[in-house]
Amino acid sequence: MLHPLSAPDVPSASPDALAPVASAVGAAFADVFLVLDDWRDRVAAAVPGATTAELDALVESLVVPTLFGGAAPEGSPMLLVGAGFIAAAGYRPGRPAHFAWWLGPLASNPLLGTTLAPTRLDLAARVHTEYLRDFRGLEWYRVPEATGQAHVTGPYVDHLCTFDFIVTLTLPVLADGRMVGVIGADVSVTRLEQALLPVLLGLDAPAALVNSVGRVLISTEASLAAGDIVPDPRHPLAAYDRMPCAGIPFDVIARRPPK
Amino acid sequence: MEAQLRPGAREAIFAQLIEAGRAEQVARRLTDAIILGVLTSGERLPSEQELARRFGVALITVREGLVILRESGLVETRRGRGGGSFVIQADAPDETLLHTRLRGVAHVELSDLAVYFSTIVEGCAERAALRAAPNDADRLSEWLAQADWDRDAGARANAGGFYLELAVLSQSARLVREQVRLQAEFGPLLLLGLVDPSMRARVAACNADVVAAIRAGDGPLARTLVAGQVRDLAEWLHAAKTRIERGGTLHAASAVSA
Repeated sequence: MLHPLSAPDVPSASPDALAPVASAVGAAFADVFLVLDDWRDRVAAAVPGATTAELDALVESLVVPTLFGGAAPEGSPMLLVGAGFIAAAGYRPGRPAHFAWWLGPLASNPLLGTTLAPTRLDLAARVHTEYLRDFRGLEWYRVPEATGQAHVTGPYVDHLCTFDFIVTLTLPVLADGRMVGVIGADVSVTRLEQALLPVLLGLDAPAALVNSVGRVLISTEASLAAGDIVPDPRHPLAAYDRMPCAGIPFDVIARRPPK
Repeated sequence: MEAQLRPGAREAIFAQLIEAGRAEQVARRLTDAIILGVLTSGERLPSEQELARRFGVALITVREGLVILRESGLVETRRGRGGGSFVIQADAPDETLLHTRLRGVAHVELSDLAVYFSTIVEGCAERAALRAAPNDADRLSEWLAQADWDRDAGARANAGGFYLELAVLSQSARLVREQVRLQAEFGPLLLLGLVDPSMRARVAACNADVVAAIRAGDGPLARTLVAGQVRDLAEWLHAAKTRIERGGTLHAASAVSA
């Protein structure tokens, strides 16, 4: 059964009321981008002179402590489930494509099982070998290469390593003005919800966090599930108030009050 | 009454039984992958430690599983630097081993497997149609346009890959995980019909229709199309097993092998 579009007993948030949620979302991602900016600068500085082993050691020393909570402020959940540096073939003359990517602890992962220690993405595994062949066409690589800007991919279900509903953040790494790779991090939507749900619940009315195509990440509105697209085709007339989040192409939305 | 067994002894009894079954599961999983052409001749398997971690079993279980494979002549173990377990099966699926595999699984198991697989894939396809953004349909369409259906192994990889893409578009992590698990366990067997060129053509055409249904947001149509595809594959498998049980061959007389 469809939910009534204008139930009189359901309160609605005004656009202004959504602002604190939007700024909390922006702040959560700004923290992650600050970390990624730092990694990007260090890796970009190392790329011209470092051997592959030295690059790997650098990336590992940066990302592994963070995947285990090192960079998370006291008491806040750790958002990242994986992170690293991915470079296309020829990032240095004659070098093949390179993955220096680590995953944090995993629960019942179909490929990797349950792990407590950091896992490095295994390039020898067939599935990853096929993936490697054309990763330059994938959104998280293609868009930063085209725009020269940081990019947010998802939310989506990653079917290659985390097997989880995640958001991928990627930043271009430049050498001589040319993009040679990306610094990236996978953010777990589950952990993001744990961090942001209290703020969403602070609103008087149901609301949701959606990406630029309207894909729902977190929702306190019963009719909107994570993964749904808004506007929901079942509710063609539903209208939403919308407050953009600073620094990330997500909006906080709430159903508009009935006239 | 106080148990007279030493601490842990009761658990060990049960553990041993489970472990014994698991070694056979490890062997069967890898045997399917080899005789059905997912793992190819000369390929090195992951290390024993890596296999143990991936399968979620003890190292000894993996070793027992590899012993079964060696005795079947499917892998050989080389010592020293660059060593490991290597696939020694010829690239083409071996008819004798395939016959043994199909004889070893009952019709009732095959039909139950098809029902379960179909239910998962239908759910994925319907959700994908309801939840796909327009650019998702574009991406799936591009992916499918690049997929090669001319050869047996490629067609199997692409058919399996397409089911996985549908699970991804459903936006359900659980469906993606289940799809991966099911394909690891049964994919090679279920997709055996793709050795038949006419089956490959039907699956390729059907998948193009599924993409169109997803683009149109038509969940029921996407569901019906994938259900038909799984039924087609299951009927092929059923007919092939019946032929083999009667002493015939994997392929129908009219079909041309790849």
